[in-house]
Amino acid sequence: MRTNDRPLSWWLTLLAVVLLLPGCQSAGPSDKPVIALIMKSLANEFFLTMERGAQEHQKQHGGDYQLITNGIKDELDVSRQVDLVEQMIGQRVQAIVIAPADSKALVAVCKKAQDAGIVVVNIDNQFDAEVLAAQDVKIPFIGPDNRKGARLAGEQLAKKLQPGDKVAIIEGVPSAFNAQQRKLGFEDALRTAKLTLASSQSAGWEMSKANQVVAALIAEQPDLKGICCANDSMALGAVAALQEAGKSQQVQVVGFDNISAVRQLVKDGKVLATVDQHGDRLAVFGIEYALEILRNKTAPADRETPVDLITADKLK
Amino acid sequence: MKHTAAMRALLAEYLGLALVLAVLIAIFGLTTRNFFAPVTFRTIANQIPVAILLAVGMTLVLSTGGIDLSVGSVLALSGSVFGLLLVKYQAPWPVALAACLATGLACGAINGLVMIRWGLPSFIVTLGMLEMARGAAYLVTDSRTMYIGGNLGNLSQIAVAGVSLGFILAVVLALAAQVVLWRTIFGRYLIAIGTNEEVVRLSGIDPRPIKLAVFMLSGLLAALAAVIHCARLSSADPNAGAGFELQAIAAAVIGGTSLMGGRASVVNSLFGVLIMAVLETGLVQLQAGEPTKRLITGAVIVGAVILDRYRQRGQ
Repeated sequence: MRTNDRPLSWWLTLLAVVLLLPGCQSAGPSDKPVIALIMKSLANEFFLTMERGAQEHQKQHGGDYQLITNGIKDELDVSRQVDLVEQMIGQRVQAIVIAPADSKALVAVCKKAQDAGIVVVNIDNQFDAEVLAAQDVKIPFIGPDNRKGARLAGEQLAKKLQPGDKVAIIEGVPSAFNAQQRKLGFEDALRTAKLTLASSQSAGWEMSKANQVVAALIAEQPDLKGICCANDSMALGAVAALQEAGKSQQVQVVGFDNISAVRQLVKDGKVLATVDQHGDRLAVFGIEYALEILRNKTAPADRETPVDLITADKLK
Repeated sequence: MKHTAAMRALLAEYLGLALVLAVLIAIFGLTTRNFFAPVTFRTIANQIPVAILLAVGMTLVLSTGGIDLSVGSVLALSGSVFGLLLVKYQAPWPVALAACLATGLACGAINGLVMIRWGLPSFIVTLGMLEMARGAAYLVTDSRTMYIGGNLGNLSQIAVAGVSLGFILAVVLALAAQVVLWRTIFGRYLIAIGTNEEVVRLSGIDPRPIKLAVFMLSGLLAALAAVIHCARLSSADPNAGAGFELQAIAAAVIGGTSLMGGRASVVNSLFGVLIMAVLETGLVQLQAGEPTKRLITGAVIVGAVILDRYRQRGQ
């Protein structure tokens, strides 16, 4: 239909307005410190759990601070996250707790926030050390050691296998720091146990992509014995591919994140192990740390939070 | 229609794409250890039903000069409804199936009705639906992936000669859609609307119900794809299907369907899907890195469309 044609620019402007609207919530007047939690994709169960944990914490400690949470549409929408930080600077919040979508691209805007006198705490995905040094900025990171977590899962897998057995790694988005750390952790475990790394490929954190990659891998390498997945969604996809290929018994799968859907599979023995990094507490750790810095004016330093291996025994 | 001439044109059309496909298979067969094996082809066959169904819907929509950007999100929403009913409400599967298909149909109907009522371009209406359906999928599932398991998992295991039920269903539907497109009045109207909607209107045929029908069909096919997707992965994922609309568009365009409407072939879209699937599987087996994969996939899409230009000129 061409009855109501408008120029493309008109539609793009409309689109921009619609997309920007959700960002416009006001902090409101109050003398409590306002903490802005800036997340990655709130569509992702993991970040949603994180956000819920933070909101729960805020309710229990309602007198201590006000909370604004913001997330981006998908985990790769870096520029939108930069905009969110800018908005929070504009709203003059006291602290920003951020899970950066990119470990380098967000450094500059966070420095800007610090220069404006805002306390910035980094959670989930650690800022790149070199970029921090280059920009001469210190942002404390509080969060789990992803490499250690992945190593735990890899070691659990190694217990079931013999030296020389072939194992594949299904990576997350290659540019993400936690994806790189998890890959390194898996590799650490494989090296120690003298397992053979048959292939390491990215499935971009996605279930259906992992399903496709694993199906192709298992056809190419029928003697594969183990698959290390950098998150649980991809582990679900891997399990489905193995089932279809009739290789469920032969190939062991480990995941990462301990999402609800994977717990049943761990209980059933279809997934050997996953790693819990206590997602519901991650944002809370960051908020508590930010409050502490605001209160005591302490110098920021990195802090590690626990990671735990989850196996069928622990779920019973 | 002159049948022999049509058949000859048909042969010429399929030959070009079949050639691209054969070259790809030959390259991967030579460069990897196990690509040229029955198991690889079975894997590919079991993987593509979702892409086929979406490409079928997209081809029909494109033939009218419209576009449906919402199919990936509609797939996620219908699948979420399906999973929710099965897991949370323990509904019997026929009920869940019906609700899932109804969801897809409803999304398609909303797309079509809004377009027609306010005379809006399908691009913007379905872009809106892309966001709305995705949001709704997150809402109904609480952004959580649901593990379905059980009977549904077994459903995807049913196979004839190693090829899944989903594949057979998808191919049969694609062939049926081709017949509809080329041999029925409805199909002629689709192409006619895509060629020149004004002429269709002036010749006394109301294009609106036809356009509504084609968007409803696209929604319904997305929902059907959702069922196959859920069955394959034994789970319902609200993030499912992101970017599938672009794959469906690419498959259709590789197959020579025009983005401007008026020219479409479902069977050729099938070739488009096959080319993309062979490429993806082959590149994994070659152990190509993510950047290389994307580079090559993009280049092949453009290359196939360029080839298509020459093919058209030849006819």
